[in-house]
Amino acid sequence: MVFEDIYRDYWNKVFRICMGYVNDTDVAKDIAQETFINIWKQLPNFRNESAIGTWIFRIASNNCLRQIERQNRMPKTELPEQIEDKHEPDKEWQTKLLYKCIAELPETDRIIISLELEDVKQAEIAKITGLSESNVRVRIYRIKEKLTLKFKQHEQHN
Amino acid sequence: MSNTIDFKALWNREETSAPDVRQIFARANKLNRNSRRKIMVCNILLILTIIFYAFMWWYFHPQLITTKIGWTLMIGAMVMYVISNYQLYPLLIKADMETDSHAFLLQMIRIKHKQEFIDNMIIKLYFLMLGGGLGLYYIEYLKRGTLLLQLSIYCVTLALLALNWFYMQERKTRKQHKAINDVINKLEEVNRQLLD
Repeated sequence: MVFEDIYRDYWNKVFRICMGYVNDTDVAKDIAQETFINIWKQLPNFRNESAIGTWIFRIASNNCLRQIERQNRMPKTELPEQIEDKHEPDKEWQTKLLYKCIAELPETDRIIISLELEDVKQAEIAKITGLSESNVRVRIYRIKEKLTLKFKQHEQHN
Repeated sequence: MSNTIDFKALWNREETSAPDVRQIFARANKLNRNSRRKIMVCNILLILTIIFYAFMWWYFHPQLITTKIGWTLMIGAMVMYVISNYQLYPLLIKADMETDSHAFLLQMIRIKHKQEFIDNMIIKLYFLMLGGGLGLYYIEYLKRGTLLLQLSIYCVTLALLALNWFYMQERKTRKQHKAINDVINKLEEVNRQLLD
C-alpha cells in the first residue's frame, strides 16, 4: 500500500475523528499530521494482521488520547458568538453544534461516536478501542441519545 | 428540527483540504533530525567529559586513592545523567501507537509511572555520586590546609549541595511530580470510562 494513497483516502476521515475529539480545526490538523507521520514511519512494518482502516484509526485514536499529556491543548468547546446567536439553525450551524457536543463527551465516547459516524463497523470499533462488540453497541446507542437530547435542548433555547 | 437527526450527514460536512504530502515528509524529517541532533549532543558531551577527566588526571596527578575514587564518582554522575537524559530516557518512554485504546491507556499509565521513578532515581543517584565524589576529592588537597580551612570548605560545599537538593531540586521535583501525577490521574480516569 502506497503512503500517498492512504493519505489521500484517509486524510478527511482522520481529520474528522481528531475534530470530534478536540473541536478545534488547528489542533485537529496538527493531531492528524502526527497520525500520518506515525503511519508513514510504521507502514513498512504493517503486516495486514488487521484491516488497514482499523490500523489507521487505532493510531489516530491513540494520538487523540495522547493529548491528555499535553494539558495546554484542551478541547475548545465554546461556539463562536455569531453562530450561537443564530435563531434559524442551518446545516453549517448544526454541523458545528454536533462537533461541539461530541467534544463535550467523555474522551472515550468521543472516539467511539466519531468512529461510528465515520461508518466504521462496530466490530472494528471494538478492535480499535479494546471494548467488546456488545459494549460498543450499547455505548453508541446511549451516546446518540445524549446527542439528540443536546440538540433538542439547543433547539428549545433558540 | 426533525425528531431523527441525521448525524452522519452532518458529520461528513466537516472537511478540510489535506496539506501537501511533502509537508508530512518535511515534518517527519525534522523530527528525525531533532532526535539525531539529541544523540549527537549526547555523544559530544560524553567525549568532552572524558577529555576533561583525562586532562584533570594528567594535570593534577592525584596521589591518594580517595581523590581518584572521588573524581571518578563525579565524572560518573555526569556521564550517567547525560546518557539517561539523551539516550535511555527516550527509549523507555516510547509508546506503541498501534495498539487498542484500552491497552494504549494502560501503557501510558505505566510509562508515566516509569518516568516518575526514573526522574527520582537518577536525580538522587546523581546527587549522591556528586556529593560523595566531591567529599572524597577534597581530602587530598585539603589535608595540607588548617583544620579551620578544611571545615569551612566542607561546610560551604555541604551547604551548597543542601541548598541545591532541598530547595531548588525539591521544588523542581515537586512540580514535575505534580505534573506527572495530574496526567496519570487523567489517564486513569479515561481508562475507567472504558471499564464502566
